[in-house]
Amino acid sequence: MRTVDWDEVRRRIEAARAAAERAWALDPEEAGRILEARAQALAREPEQAPAAGALELLEFLLAHERYAVESRYVREVDPLENLTPLPCTPAFVLGIVNLRGEILSVIDIKKFFDLPEKGLTDLNKVIVLQSDKMLFGILADAILGVRRIPLSEIQPSLPTLTGIREKYLKGVTRERTVVLDAEKLLADEKIIVQETVEETRS
Amino acid sequence: MKWFLDLTMRGKLFVCFGVMFVLFAAVIATAYSGIAAILQSQDRLYKEDFANVRDLMALRANQNQMRALMLEVQLLTRRAEQDPLLAQATERSKQVDQILLGLMERAKSNPGRLARLEELQSVWQAFAQTKDAEIIPLILAGKLAEAQQLAVGVQQGREQRIRAIAQELGKAAEEEARLAVADAGQRANQSFRIFLFIGILAAVIGLVLVLWMERVIAGPLRSLSRAADRVAAGDLTAEVPGENRADEVGDLTRMFRTMLENQRRVMREIHEGVNVLSSSSGEILATTTQVAASAAETASAVSETTATVEEVKQTAGVSSQKAKYVSESAQKVSQVSQSGRKSVDGTIQGMQRIQEQMESIAESIVRLSEQSQAIGEIIATVNDLAEQSNLLAVNAAIEAARAGDQGKGFAVVAQEVKSLAEQSKQATAQVRTILGDIQKATSTAVLATEQGSKAVEAGVKRSAEAGESIRLLADSVTEAAQAAVQIAASSQQQMVGMDQVALAMENIKQASMQNVSGTKQAEVAAQNLHALGQKLKQLAEQYKV
Repeated sequence: MRTVDWDEVRRRIEAARAAAERAWALDPEEAGRILEARAQALAREPEQAPAAGALELLEFLLAHERYAVESRYVREVDPLENLTPLPCTPAFVLGIVNLRGEILSVIDIKKFFDLPEKGLTDLNKVIVLQSDKMLFGILADAILGVRRIPLSEIQPSLPTLTGIREKYLKGVTRERTVVLDAEKLLADEKIIVQETVEETRS
Repeated sequence: MKWFLDLTMRGKLFVCFGVMFVLFAAVIATAYSGIAAILQSQDRLYKEDFANVRDLMALRANQNQMRALMLEVQLLTRRAEQDPLLAQATERSKQVDQILLGLMERAKSNPGRLARLEELQSVWQAFAQTKDAEIIPLILAGKLAEAQQLAVGVQQGREQRIRAIAQELGKAAEEEARLAVADAGQRANQSFRIFLFIGILAAVIGLVLVLWMERVIAGPLRSLSRAADRVAAGDLTAEVPGENRADEVGDLTRMFRTMLENQRRVMREIHEGVNVLSSSSGEILATTTQVAASAAETASAVSETTATVEEVKQTAGVSSQKAKYVSESAQKVSQVSQSGRKSVDGTIQGMQRIQEQMESIAESIVRLSEQSQAIGEIIATVNDLAEQSNLLAVNAAIEAARAGDQGKGFAVVAQEVKSLAEQSKQATAQVRTILGDIQKATSTAVLATEQGSKAVEAGVKRSAEAGESIRLLADSVTEAAQAAVQIAASSQQQMVGMDQVALAMENIKQASMQNVSGTKQAEVAAQNLHALGQKLKQLAEQYKV
């Protein structure tokens, strides 16, 4: 019979407790190292801004692909909350949300671009696009962040891409990020929904 | 001929011998009549012809004697001497007369001869007259010459005449006698022929009868005798020939057939009986042999048993001692089992305590698990916060970009905030992973505790069972102790009983020895019986049925 060494057990529990307590109070060495690193980072020369002709891009994930829009047309990003489906709308219009008292329509650009569905994704972020005339949100799985990319890095769209996608495509970066043309998207007539429903006769 | 066959033997014999008797009678009658005829003829020959010849010869002799006497008288001179001679002559003369009378008497039936005899008588009377009346006185007177003259003269002629007649008659008589003899011979021949004929006839008939009787009587008897011979040789299958007849031979044949049938049946039954006897005796022999062997085995077994009983007796003594020892041991065991029972009760209580503690351990682990769940919720909150921080950082970056060059520093801060948010997120992910491990571990611990609890329950149950078993064991041991006491008493009695058994076994041993010798004798007897049966079987097999 395997006897349990209770002393060993007690010792191990004690060590765990001590380790947990230590985690909260950094030892001075560790703290000094972290501060050193931060100082080094802050003391570094900022990177030389490239020549004019750089684009400020907001990158996001959609259906496991990286997309990006120009941050000029992005008002803000928000978590998707309280989505209300809207009847009598095209399939790409998921519904409307209340964003701090402002009613905003939410579009699924996957469906708008007729991209194939690749399994279920989070779709829990809303990127609010804004122009002078138009305001709506597009769904994203995750927000990756804002980056500046020189225009030279952006390549024209792939020749294989045709149809509706090409029309809204600005180009592809070296990291295979698809850069969408938010301006065209915002200006598109197709986004405007003009649907009427005849009164059903009972 | 059936009637003859059906006649009894006496009848047959009567018939055959009657026929033979008749034939013999005929032969005898024939012989008798022939002999009688011959006798008659001889008698007649003797009484007539032969008498005639004799008388004639006597007559001639007497006459010659008388002449001789006369001549002698003439020669003598003295009267004294002459008288006897004369008397003799006279005597002779008388005899001649008598002979003549006799002859005449016999010749009455024959007139021819009678006439001749009368002539002879007349001549003789003349001669006798002359002689008596003339010659004798002349002689007496001495006148011999005259006498001679007379004698030679007249008397001579007469005398010749007489002789001639007598001869003639004699010849006639001889002739008659010859005829009579010839007649008798002829008759005798005839009789002989008849006799011969009848005799041959009788002989032929007798032969035929003999042959026939032989065929009728001796033939069946011979065949019977042949059959009897075969039967005597043991062949009972012999067929008895012969037709159905009413006489003794038929009776004998039937009897013999019946006897043979009975004998055959009896032999068959004897055969079967002998077979049965033989096989039975064989079986008896086998059985007896087996019995003898068994008896021998029994004897040896009994002998062994006796030895064994002796050993058992000793063993019983040993077992008696052991039983006492066992009784004492059982008492001790009973005490030990009582203490064992108490120990088991203590064990059960300990096990129950262990179970309670196991339950409290399980409770603690469950609480730990619930607390880790709370940690998970907190981590989710932290994660949410990190996410929001991230979004805030992005929004800040957007705002900074919108602000242009003035917002560049802010953009760096926003970048830092974003990086911190990312780190927070990674940390929460690690914490979540660790939390998952903790939850797995607690689940395992709960399961282990459950198993432990179950094991403890099983242990409690086992302990209870063990307690029950020990209680039963204690009871049993108590009973066993009592039983051991009883066993000790019983084994004492058993020892006494074993003594008696040993005695009885000794008796049985002697009895089985006697049994063995008896069965040996019976086996010998059965062997003899078997040999007898085999011999009987061989004897019976000599008879073919």
